Amino acid sequence: MNPDVVAAITRLRADNVLTGPQATLFNRVARRHLVSVRLEIRLLLYVGVGLLTSGVGVLVVEHQQEIGPLAIAGALGLAAAACLVWVAGKAPAFSWRAVESPNVAFDYILLLGLLLFASDLGYVEAQFTVLGPSWTHHLVIVGAVYLLAAYRWDSQIVLGLALTTLAAWRGVSLSLTAGVHGARGAKDLRTNAIVIGALYVALAILSVWLARKAHFEEVFGNTGLLLLLGALVSGVLGDHAWGFWLLALLAVAGVVVWIAFGLGRSLYFAEGVVAAYVGLLRVLFELGSSSVAFFAAAFLGVAALILIFAAHRRMIER
Amino acid sequence: MRPESVAWERAAEVREAAEGWRRAGAIGTPTYDAIRNAYPDPCVTPGAVWRVLTAGMVSAIVVCVAAALGFATRLDVLGSAVLLFVLGGVAIALTELLEASPRSARRGAAGATAFWGCFFIIVGFWGFISGDRHSDLFDRSVNATLLASTLVWAAGCWRWGYPLFAGLSAVSFFVLLSRFSLGRVFWVLAGTALVAVAARRTDAATGAPSHRRAAQVLLVVAIAAVYEAINVYSLDEQIIEGFLKLSPLRVPPPPALFVMAAVATAVLPLGILVWAWTSREMVLLDTGIVLLALSLVTLRHYVQVAPLWVVLTASGVVLVVLAVTVERILRRSPRASAGASRRTRCSRTSGGSRFSRPSRSRPPSRRPRISRRDKKRASRAAGARSASL
Repeated sequence: MNPDVVAAITRLRADNVLTGPQATLFNRVARRHLVSVRLEIRLLLYVGVGLLTSGVGVLVVEHQQEIGPLAIAGALGLAAAACLVWVAGKAPAFSWRAVESPNVAFDYILLLGLLLFASDLGYVEAQFTVLGPSWTHHLVIVGAVYLLAAYRWDSQIVLGLALTTLAAWRGVSLSLTAGVHGARGAKDLRTNAIVIGALYVALAILSVWLARKAHFEEVFGNTGLLLLLGALVSGVLGDHAWGFWLLALLAVAGVVVWIAFGLGRSLYFAEGVVAAYVGLLRVLFELGSSSVAFFAAAFLGVAALILIFAAHRRMIER
Repeated sequence: MRPESVAWERAAEVREAAEGWRRAGAIGTPTYDAIRNAYPDPCVTPGAVWRVLTAGMVSAIVVCVAAALGFATRLDVLGSAVLLFVLGGVAIALTELLEASPRSARRGAAGATAFWGCFFIIVGFWGFISGDRHSDLFDRSVNATLLASTLVWAAGCWRWGYPLFAGLSAVSFFVLLSRFSLGRVFWVLAGTALVAVAARRTDAATGAPSHRRAAQVLLVVAIAAVYEAINVYSLDEQIIEGFLKLSPLRVPPPPALFVMAAVATAVLPLGILVWAWTSREMVLLDTGIVLLALSLVTLRHYVQVAPLWVVLTASGVVLVVLAVTVERILRRSPRASAGASRRTRCSRTSGGSRFSRPSRSRPPSRRPRISRRDKKRASRAAGARSASL
């Protein structure tokens, strides 16, 4: 029980701040006569889906010779279809606004169905080489299906999966050609991350602007900023022409911090500040690890801290 | 803890509860404001992102200053130990200053300086006692450092109330115990004693809220230690004995001991779950679930009941079905209808979903449209009311 809240309820009831039924209900919660198991149920579902897909994966790896590729592909497809049919049957009508899930299992059965679909597609590609040398394109198909499903069934989990799958498609495609192009591969990878990141950020802005699934903005925005700022930081730390990358990073991080400050978005603000700080460390440590460099890094941290405190105070005042 | 800090924490607990009541629609804004006025909290408490950002930045500053001084002075081991003591002292003094002010106590900076203060003192102590000694004294210096770590983290938790410090102290203590020849027995005895003590403190009205949370952390660590000591796989593989300087030769445990450990591995998680059911302590429920999963993995290791893919798939199906069934039972129970269904319901309209309250409490025309985040919070609160164990 929470003795502070229990004592407060008694006092608030005596002062007539709370009514009798209110005090009785709150007392039940404060004394743990009424507790929430929502998190536990969600965790069980998540672990259950993970175990199920792992079991299917192990089955395919260990017994593909005995079962046969057609049977495996068919069974995976059937299982995925069963999950998605159940989801389609339970789902409410489509809306551009947020739609409440019909029950707690909905999101997880949807996730299971989509993961099984992706496994099936991957298996078919591995066994029958449908796409041949351009097999990485199956990631585009998976990502597109995830994206459609996220919009149709209003799932932020699936949207996050779609965005990472599409980013992975570019990453995997470029990694395969990196061996041919050498150091240029890393640059291409960085450029792709910047383009995809900027695209996601643009989609975040558009989703709010057009009021089309406006609540997806956080997923688009955070994934996009992580890719964009991550690529710029990687350029500062890993490229010979780090000065150019640093300027770009500082410009982008400055814009992100400024907009986040205006919108009151703490996570975007934090991402911008951390990226700029890490980028500036490159300047300080360019001449080697000396006491001066570390002192300068500490002073830079103090400056960042002052910025954080000032921004937070201004946001509260507004 | 400082009496002022305890008072601030108590007020914050009540205000947080009131915030939850308001989000769930159980109280209106006037009542909420009245509660806030009755329990004023002078502390500035930023959101989690701000606190983590501040703590991270303070950590970067502290580490950079320590590294800068290290590079500048180029001291030997003993000199570095003294430097770390000084830095630790400064960090602790800074923590005291930050904790004393309601404007800085809960910003995340105090937690970071407290952590690094304790860490520097422990590492400094290690350098001080192991500096120029021979390796035969290494074992003793490790034990002394573990003892110092136990005491320093415990003192930090007692003074500032950070639950993480309680966990670090308990972990140091159990690692120290494992370095004795009867380490496994000590783990069971000390773990049981700690469970008994911590369980009484989780609801103690005299303790500060953060000390109650620290007691919960101790409870979990102590239960985990007892489980680790009695787990049949741990006994078989002599995991705890591996912490000894000269680990004993691997000998299989006597059959009777093996059987006892196997039984205890199965019984302890069930006992924890029963305890959680009767006490309704969610930390115990979560711990019991994790330990039960570990016991099932242990069982699978020794008894190959079925191929791996069957076990994984069946476990997944069982978990999904169990979760869905429990959720349905709780929602349909009479107490749930008295709590959630009667007070809060979600109705879907052509324009999307709308969170609405019963017309008894608010006329339909005044039903507010609220954001998805608020809907989620309210839904969570409804879950809190409906999921009555």
